[in-house]
Amino acid sequence: MGTRIEAASALTSHGLRKPTARRLADAAARTCLAHAGKEPGDIDMLINAGIYREDNMGEPALAALIQEDIGANLGQPPVGGRGTFSFDVLNGVCGVITAIQVESSFLNSGVIRLGAIVTSDVGPDHQNPGAALLRPAGGALLLGRDDGLAGFTDFYTETFPEYEGLLRSGLVWRERHGHRVPQQAAGQHDMVIDEQPGYQARLADCAEEAAGRFLRRLGMGVGEIDLLIPAPASPGFVDALTMRLGVPGDRVAYVAEDLDGAYTTGSIAALQAAIRSGRLGEARTALMIAAGAGITVALALYRQTPP
Amino acid sequence: MAETHSTQPDHWLALESPGSGSSRGCRIESVGVKLPARRLTTRDLMSRTSHRTRIQLERLTGIHERHVVGPGENSFTLAAGAARDCLAHSQHRAADIQMLISTSITRSTGRYSQSFEPPLSLYVKQAIGATQAANFDLSNACAGMLTGMFVLQDLITRGEINCGMVVSGEYISHLSWNAARQIRSLLSRQLASLTLGDAGAAVIVERAPSGSGIEVIGFTTLAEHSRLCLAFPSTVGPGGQMYTKSRTLQKVAIDDMAPLVAEAIGEAGIDLADIDFMIPHQTSARAIRAGTQEFVRRLGARPKHVVVNLEEYGNTSSTTLFVALHKYLEEQRIHKGDRVMLLALASGIEIGMAIFTIDSQVDRYGHTH
Repeated sequence: MGTRIEAASALTSHGLRKPTARRLADAAARTCLAHAGKEPGDIDMLINAGIYREDNMGEPALAALIQEDIGANLGQPPVGGRGTFSFDVLNGVCGVITAIQVESSFLNSGVIRLGAIVTSDVGPDHQNPGAALLRPAGGALLLGRDDGLAGFTDFYTETFPEYEGLLRSGLVWRERHGHRVPQQAAGQHDMVIDEQPGYQARLADCAEEAAGRFLRRLGMGVGEIDLLIPAPASPGFVDALTMRLGVPGDRVAYVAEDLDGAYTTGSIAALQAAIRSGRLGEARTALMIAAGAGITVALALYRQTPP
Repeated sequence: MAETHSTQPDHWLALESPGSGSSRGCRIESVGVKLPARRLTTRDLMSRTSHRTRIQLERLTGIHERHVVGPGENSFTLAAGAARDCLAHSQHRAADIQMLISTSITRSTGRYSQSFEPPLSLYVKQAIGATQAANFDLSNACAGMLTGMFVLQDLITRGEINCGMVVSGEYISHLSWNAARQIRSLLSRQLASLTLGDAGAAVIVERAPSGSGIEVIGFTTLAEHSRLCLAFPSTVGPGGQMYTKSRTLQKVAIDDMAPLVAEAIGEAGIDLADIDFMIPHQTSARAIRAGTQEFVRRLGARPKHVVVNLEEYGNTSSTTLFVALHKYLEEQRIHKGDRVMLLALASGIEIGMAIFTIDSQVDRYGHTH
């Protein structure tokens, strides 16, 4: 028995007049539920793995607001009823794979029957013009259990802290100069994304190294991976990685052009492409991979049958 | 993949009883805390509000003082300090930690009042030398640490990992200073911000023999009330601002928590009177008293002790449960064999609980350590 991908949906801000992180995630979650033929109340656990929001809300978890928006098990808890548990995971571009690992564990232990993962990012107001702009996008993924499928069997995360300084982001307080007017803002918090030269190249280096270690640990070669599902979170990352790993283009899930550059949604967009093309269903083994700040590389192996 | 266990399809809570139905259990191995040396009394805080408020905060909340950061301290330093203290009380070395989850709400590090990438957990694991650990951050308001423990115990009882750490550092007193600039009366939605104190906490959980350690752990989100407590970056000063509909939040918590606690103790096969120490999220002494009375009324039993440490620490957000547990272990007020219930309540509304029995970890605290 394993964790099955029920549905994956990724979308851009098209059709949304004001694309906020919450609205993008809400829209993706509703679309994904419709694709899977599920109701919001079927969701037992909802994890948000998005990072960049227009308001940078500190609490509650954005997942709780999304749970309310889509109407997943609201109301008072009756004894014997069913609830939804929501929280956020923050691991940059790797957040979706981290959330899959968490929900896969709860699915396999029987604590939950249906897990949802949502993502969204909107372009933060940052100060560094050299940093890559984020494309507003949202995603949703539904995970269930399947007795006839191996599903997600192995996960691996590796960090390369020697490159920690190549990408940093956060809020920086900037005092407003001049005469202070009572009841008016004394300053503002600016989102600063500080990307150093060489970051993009190091992502591919680290991803190649981590993928090699993961596959060696499993006793597998790259040739045994029928489908590579990389998160295209930075320009050129997918091409650089596939070239280094020696994976031909027909064994790579490329996202639709309008979703290229989707940040935390990248993994879900790649999964959506793999499902739509029919290649995920055909692949005996599929490898998800994402690389981001840290530098952190996350991998997940999805199999049709046990090894 | 590892084996499955403890399927409970019809609970409102996402609930797990790792001690039963599995060949592996999970236990709390050690708890660590880092408190800033500097203290701020409620009297001093209230004397520095911009407006004359006439709020008797200490009488209302039971908070006499709280710890607040000094120069050079932030969410990261508190988290790293707590992680080191946790290791000092542990039989594990940093290299044994296979997964490290940071659950700070505030995430301040040096230049950044709120860092986003890389995750704070990366800095903490590097600081303590847990370089082999997988790491990520988790955000679930004041329920973050217990949520992290829920995640780790599931991975441990399934055999995916043997040992993990949850850590949080909260430099959150800036919300108090920002509220103090604006607050005018008892009706202000920023009133709860005046109750906050700074602290770091960490907990190591490890694999245990089946039938031992954590008896029940579970969570739910009552998302119909997700907007009762919201925090954002401030425009009046560095850090954040929090807006809380405190009375509504308290009413919902009191109404809805009792049936959820009943689910958890029912799963454990015990009665509320079998709980030796109930450690609730520390908000205000009045709210805790009212909540306890409601449990007694609805469940017909009372835990033997209800832990309140607000007088000394205030509300230290995501760390409160483990700051309180650490204090009671250090003061040797909890003994081997005592059954403890941690009860999380957080913006969301998140309600979570864990029931476990104290074992040999108690030997590494207090004057025997």
